[in-house]
Amino acid sequence: MQWMLWTLPTALFFGSIALLLLGMLIWEILQPCVERRGWIIPMRTTRGDRLFIGLLSSAYIAAFWLVFVPLSMWWMAAITIAILVILQAVG
Amino acid sequence: MDTKFADNRAWLLVLPATLLVFFTAMIPFMAVVNYSFQIVFSMQNHALIGWETFHEALTNEEFSGALGRQVLFTGIVLLIEIPLGIAVALTMPRTGKMVGPVLVVIALPLLVPWNVVGLIWQIFARGDIGLFGAFVNNVLHINYNYAVGEYSAWFTVVLMSVWHWTSLVALLAYAGLCSIPGAFYQAARIDGASRWATFRFIELPKLRGVLTIAILLRFVYSFKTYAESLTVTGGGPGTSTTFMTQMLTNTAIGQFAYGKAAAYGLLYFLIILLISYIFYIVLTRVGTNEGGA
Repeated sequence: MQWMLWTLPTALFFGSIALLLLGMLIWEILQPCVERRGWIIPMRTTRGDRLFIGLLSSAYIAAFWLVFVPLSMWWMAAITIAILVILQAVG
Repeated sequence: MDTKFADNRAWLLVLPATLLVFFTAMIPFMAVVNYSFQIVFSMQNHALIGWETFHEALTNEEFSGALGRQVLFTGIVLLIEIPLGIAVALTMPRTGKMVGPVLVVIALPLLVPWNVVGLIWQIFARGDIGLFGAFVNNVLHINYNYAVGEYSAWFTVVLMSVWHWTSLVALLAYAGLCSIPGAFYQAARIDGASRWATFRFIELPKLRGVLTIAILLRFVYSFKTYAESLTVTGGGPGTSTTFMTQMLTNTAIGQFAYGKAAAYGLLYFLIILLISYIFYIVLTRVGTNEGGA
C-alpha cells in the first residue's frame, strides 16, 4: 500500500464510502426501492441516483466552501451529510 | 421486458469487468485522492497537508487559466463541428455507387493517430514550407505564424480539431439520417414542405439521440485534448494554448508536484463527471415523457 500513500483521513473517507455502499445494498435487499419523484430533484430517481447526486454536489460544495467560506471544513462536512440525508428522504 | 427472472446468476458474468475496472480505474483513482491531500517529495518522503493543494488549485491563475482556455476551446470546437458535421451528413449520398467511397473518405481523418495529426498540421501550417501557412502568408498576405501569434496558434489548433473530428459527427449524423423511414419524406413532400422545414421538423428531431451522443463524445474528447495541440504549439506561445491535460502534465512530470497535480486532476475529473452525468440523464430519457433534466 506504500505507493498509494494512504493516510488516516483518506482511509476513513474511503472506508465510509464503502460502508455507505454496503449499507445501501443491505437497505435495497431488505426493502427494494421504488423510483419516485421528490421535491428537490426535477426527475424520477432511485436511491442510488440520489446518493450519487448527493455525493457529486457535496464535492462541488466542498470546492465552493474552500474558496468562499472562511469557516472550518467540518461545517462543510456536516452540511453535506445533511444534504445526503435530505436528498434521500425527500429529494 | 416484463418477465422477472428469479435467478440472477447471470450477473456473475459482469464480475470480471467489474474487477478489471476496480484494479485499473478505482485503485489508481483512490491513489490520486491520497496524493492530493499531501505534499509528495518522493514515495518515502511525504506529508499530509490537508486542503491546501485544493485551495491553491482553486485560487491560482495556472488552474483557472487552463480551465478557461479549455472551456473556450471545447465551446468553439463544438459550435463549429456539430453544425458542420450535420451539413456534411446532409450532402452525403444515401444510395448508389458512391456511398462506399464517400464513407471511406469521410472516415479517413479519424484513422490518423492524434500525434500524427499534430505533425501533419505542424508542417502544413508552417509559414516557410507548409502549403497552408505559405498560402496564407504569401498569397492572402495575412501575417500568420502559430509559433509566435496567439490568434494564429488558436486558429491552427481549432482548424486541426475540426479537420480531425468533424468526420465523427458527420458519420453519426449520417447514420441517424439513414434510419429515418422514407414515409416521413413522402408525407413532407405531400404537404409541400420546404427543404428547411423538412430538416427542422423531421430530420433534426429524429437526429436528437445521435446528436446527443455526438456532442457528448466531442465534448469529452475535446475536453481531454492533448497530443494534437501539444505537437503543434507546445502549449504556446506563452501559455495561450496550454489546455488542462498539458497543464496537468507540466505540474506532475515537469514540476514533480504530485500533490498539486492530483488536486488539479480531481477537480478536472469532477467537471467531466458532472457534464457526463447530465448527458447520461438526457440520453437515458430521450423518448420518454420526462424529456431530460
